[in-house]
Amino acid sequence: MDKLDLTFVDMAVEQIGTGREKVLEIAQCIQEHFGYLPKEALERVCELTDITPASIVGVTTFYDQFRQQPAGKHIIKICIGTACHVKGAGQIYEAFQRHLGIADDEDTDSEKMFTVEKVACLGCCMLAPAIQIDDIIFGHLTNEHVPMVIRDFLEQEKARERQVSKQEYTKSVKYLGEIRICLDSSCVASGSGKVYNALKTAVEQSGVAVVVKNVGCSGMSFLAPLVEVVSVDGASFRYARIQPQDAMAIVLRHFKPRQFGQKIKNTVSDMLDKILTDRAWEPVTRYSIDVRDQPVAVFLEKQKHLATEHCGDIDPVDLDEYIRNDGFEALRHCITGLSPEEIIREIEHSGLRGRGGAGYPTYLKWSAVCDRKSDKKYVICNGDEGDPGAFMDRMLMESYPYRIIEGVTMAAYAVGADEGYFYIRAEYPLAIKRMTEAINKCCRRGFLGNHVLDSKFSLNLKIIAGAGAFVCGEETALMASIEGRRGMPRLRPPYPVESGLWGKPTLINNVETCAVMPWIIRNGAAAFAKIGMGSSKGAKVFALAGKVARGGLIEVPMGISIRQIVEDIGGGIAEGKKFKAVQIGGPSGGCVPAELSDIPIGFESLNDVHAMMGSGGMVVLDESDCMVDIAKYFLEFTQNQSCGKCTFCRIGTRRMLDILERLCEGNGKNGDIEELEKLAQMVKKASLCGLGTTAPNPVLSTIRYFRDEYEAHIEKRCPASKCKALITYSVTDDCIGCTLCSQHCPADAIEMRPHEKHEIDSEKCIRCNTCKSICPTDAIKVE
Amino acid sequence: MAKLVIDNINVEVDSGETVLDAAKKIGIEIPTMCFLKEYKALTSCMICVVKIEGVESLMPACGTIATDGMKVETSSEEVCQARKVALELLLSDHLGDCMGPCQVICPAGMNIPLMIRQIKAGRLEDAIVTVKQDIAMPAVLGRICPAPCENGCRRAKFDQPVSICLLKRYVADVDLFSAQPYQPVCEPKKDKRIAIVGAGPAGLSAAYYLLQKGYTCTIYDDHDKPGGMLRYAVSRDKLPEDVLDKEIALIEKLGAKFQGKTKITSAKELQEDFNAVLIAAGQTELADRDLMGVFAIPNTAARQKLAVRAVAEGKKAAIAIDEFLSGRNVTGPQKKFNNRIGKLQENEIDNFMLLADHSSRVSPLRKSEGFTDEQAKQESGRCLHCDCRKTDSCKLRQYSQQYQARQNRYKGKRNLFSQQIQHPCIIYEPGKCIKCGLCIQIASEAKEEYGLTFIGRGFDVKVAVPFDKSLAEGLSRIGHKCVEACPTGAMALKD
Repeated sequence: MDKLDLTFVDMAVEQIGTGREKVLEIAQCIQEHFGYLPKEALERVCELTDITPASIVGVTTFYDQFRQQPAGKHIIKICIGTACHVKGAGQIYEAFQRHLGIADDEDTDSEKMFTVEKVACLGCCMLAPAIQIDDIIFGHLTNEHVPMVIRDFLEQEKARERQVSKQEYTKSVKYLGEIRICLDSSCVASGSGKVYNALKTAVEQSGVAVVVKNVGCSGMSFLAPLVEVVSVDGASFRYARIQPQDAMAIVLRHFKPRQFGQKIKNTVSDMLDKILTDRAWEPVTRYSIDVRDQPVAVFLEKQKHLATEHCGDIDPVDLDEYIRNDGFEALRHCITGLSPEEIIREIEHSGLRGRGGAGYPTYLKWSAVCDRKSDKKYVICNGDEGDPGAFMDRMLMESYPYRIIEGVTMAAYAVGADEGYFYIRAEYPLAIKRMTEAINKCCRRGFLGNHVLDSKFSLNLKIIAGAGAFVCGEETALMASIEGRRGMPRLRPPYPVESGLWGKPTLINNVETCAVMPWIIRNGAAAFAKIGMGSSKGAKVFALAGKVARGGLIEVPMGISIRQIVEDIGGGIAEGKKFKAVQIGGPSGGCVPAELSDIPIGFESLNDVHAMMGSGGMVVLDESDCMVDIAKYFLEFTQNQSCGKCTFCRIGTRRMLDILERLCEGNGKNGDIEELEKLAQMVKKASLCGLGTTAPNPVLSTIRYFRDEYEAHIEKRCPASKCKALITYSVTDDCIGCTLCSQHCPADAIEMRPHEKHEIDSEKCIRCNTCKSICPTDAIKVE
Repeated sequence: MAKLVIDNINVEVDSGETVLDAAKKIGIEIPTMCFLKEYKALTSCMICVVKIEGVESLMPACGTIATDGMKVETSSEEVCQARKVALELLLSDHLGDCMGPCQVICPAGMNIPLMIRQIKAGRLEDAIVTVKQDIAMPAVLGRICPAPCENGCRRAKFDQPVSICLLKRYVADVDLFSAQPYQPVCEPKKDKRIAIVGAGPAGLSAAYYLLQKGYTCTIYDDHDKPGGMLRYAVSRDKLPEDVLDKEIALIEKLGAKFQGKTKITSAKELQEDFNAVLIAAGQTELADRDLMGVFAIPNTAARQKLAVRAVAEGKKAAIAIDEFLSGRNVTGPQKKFNNRIGKLQENEIDNFMLLADHSSRVSPLRKSEGFTDEQAKQESGRCLHCDCRKTDSCKLRQYSQQYQARQNRYKGKRNLFSQQIQHPCIIYEPGKCIKCGLCIQIASEAKEEYGLTFIGRGFDVKVAVPFDKSLAEGLSRIGHKCVEACPTGAMALKD
């Protein structure tokens, strides 16, 4: 083998630094360059820095992001988040493996073109099942889409290489109005990016004085790409599920071109002609939805936007616009008018509790750090949102970076910290990009850095990109990760407020908690406390996904019932199926059955039904979801994400999973359920950190509410017809002999018999569900 | 200063001290595996969990700082159950045999692997001690035992089992025909007398071990000479009379009184003169054998004509009688906790062979002969050393015994056996590692250039030397300390 050129490593180290804590950053840099972590490169790092071989190997093998082997040219990340799982992500994964001819124990095709990986969650649950190739997201996939996706990606690749950078269209004119479109990752995945470009081109070509603006997500991602047109008089029109070819029509419908130059005219009429002659064309107006009408009105009106204030209105990284909309008012008020104690009292009176999962009163943490005498204190914003089925923090960071920065800055001022970190998971590149940009702009404008708002208070904020480890959401693991160690939690106490980052008092707050703080200070504690119920105040952001008609990011007042969320906001269950349960709180939470869905959302009320607020993932399940499979799914996740430190979590979750796997494979035996319960209780009671102590929750809650399904599995039945080993596919008399199933069957299990009833060879059948999804007459039976 | 209550006992400790420290101060022992006093608490094995009033989770005592007013329970049912589960979970992922399969199969439970290693090292004087710990008449058995142990020998997977029986005979013969055969040291004489009915292998064996405990033994038998079936049912070709006589003579020399030509019909009568009676006569049935203080060896041993079983039963009875006479509960010998690998998988044997001599099984020139010195040495090199190198010091084993953990409570897919032997004096068996992290910490603090690290995460995490270096490079200075700290047999000294 050729000797590897390591000059890049030398350069990277020189730029990043030689401290032990730099290990993650250096490794990320090396991986970005080489596509993996060559051993020689890591050894070179050890020569150049204080990082030891044991440290660099330990750290780089801990995080999922790092590869020890070269990967293919492109990485296909298959999201196996909850929403994607219930919509068949497993089958999509297998379909990619099959299509690319990748063997079971490998991850890269023979031409080294594509590497297929499973990832915990891409954070675009309403596009489920979703995948990401390099930085492009594809959503709503079925098995049959797989070849198309690959083709489409390769074509785009070619196009991208050809593309010459075009000049941005800018003119200093008085604008007649705005066209708003959300460009966060999930909307881009629905095609927003293409629509955005098409709109820009249309505006450019027609010459109308209109701004095409990238705005924060409105949460209505099920309608993406969603375009909102605001005319000069403020009237607003929304278009859902827009295609790029609709762009010009939309522009021309609302805005009269000032000059219709000949060249443009030609182009436009050419295009219009094309549209008019295209039989598939339907008038754009058909997609238009008025916000006052059902069902979107319900979607928005039941909500309460605090953390997501001005949703859909403001450009995420436009600092001036943020300032125009009361941005940094709260911070200014804190610094000029309030003492730290007064701020903390205000937070106390608001009743704000941490939005990261456990619901610990925010002011208690603040005053603990505030009271601590120390030469140095830190503040950390935890953006390592890793729950599969949750994407609130991603959307907040992508859409409202300034608000989060403002919240963190207020917190730092209140507790007396002058240095802080955003720990953001690596799977959120756009969030990292926007937060970075926002921090830089804030520094330039005096909202961060030395002498914030010309006061004595200084704050330097830095972004740390995680590297793919769910456990780093646990605060002690997160700090270990920032310090350049394996993200292994440690025993608490001592809590971070006493001994945190590098042993110093440290305040750690979740993204959403930070995002809501400016609202509280601006509107007053009382206004916040008025919203919600009991000891759960304010509103909470949820990622609503799964089997609802409308999924997306929602912010609802505490106290709203689960049923209201599912039915009024989510529009009920899609495809007319029966509502079965809601999984709340992700891998730490539980499944609340439909019968109990009238309970209000609150920290205690959810605990009472053995679920948990968690960080806010809310995945709706219908009758076709197997609860044993759901429990297995979550346990697979936590088991895979266990850091491996303590016995109960490392081995206990594995043994629990063994039992669940047995059940789903039809190898369960009497006593398994009881043994599983016992072990789950023990893991819950004796694990070291939050990951282990909550990992059994999905199992325990499904046993509690759906024990009959567990029992059915012991009898080798899967009532929801989900568990592969327990089901068979067959063709009913409705078959019209169209041969579609036979053509698409990847396992050659269906012989082609035109115009005759087809048959499925159960031996060959791999239960990939392709036949069922492709059959035009619904003639495939699963039982 | 912190004042706390542990198991209802008040204790005061300096601030910063842990619950473990506090418990130790008042003599309460809490089991630990991943903890070493001079190092940072790792809180990984979780065997030291305790219940602290008001805290929902069980807390590891080694890392929990004792605070004022704390109320701690260290041995409640809940705590013990948790420890047991922790052990059972560790065992479910623990790949190794505590004892060699040969020793497990041997009815007498002789430490065969140790004997073989002593032969290999030329320490025959130690080997005979090992043998006689469990087998009172090894020269006899070395000639007539059907050697069930060899059926368990893992070496058979590669070629043929180690010739265990002949190795034992070799050790015994060298000793028996030496000028001064080995005699165990006996405890001071106790004023207690035991009658043994039957001078067969079981009775003689019982006498051999009871005498060592300081008891006075009289053996009764119908025949005029001791030996029982060894003398009257085994052919002289197989077992020459002089070997039998010599070995019995050693027992008599130890103090056993033999009374031949005596038919015993009642145990009760014997009880008048003796503190305990052992009925070790296979063929004799005494009507009154169910009396207190009368012990009987199941006659299945005799019926199977398996002398080694009879010898084993003799030792067991001796232990029971000793328990009885010293006023303890009569339980017989405690069965030691024993983890097993079970059946080997395809090619797994290759890894076992790493340190063994690959030559084939040695046979004596003539069938009735034993090994020569050279042959014995050569054959001893064929042993795979599949027993654990830390059978006596392994904490996992010790606590598994104490908390009665079951190896198979949780079944999972097992890994393949492997051992790393490149280090000059250390053997590393990853399958036995409980990932406690002590060795990593030790190496790191000793500033080893490479040291050790965790590789990967979660259930599949491994302890290894970074950059695929060998253990010799990883532990160039501090290896012995790691071996000493390792709570299991994962890291052990070579022989």
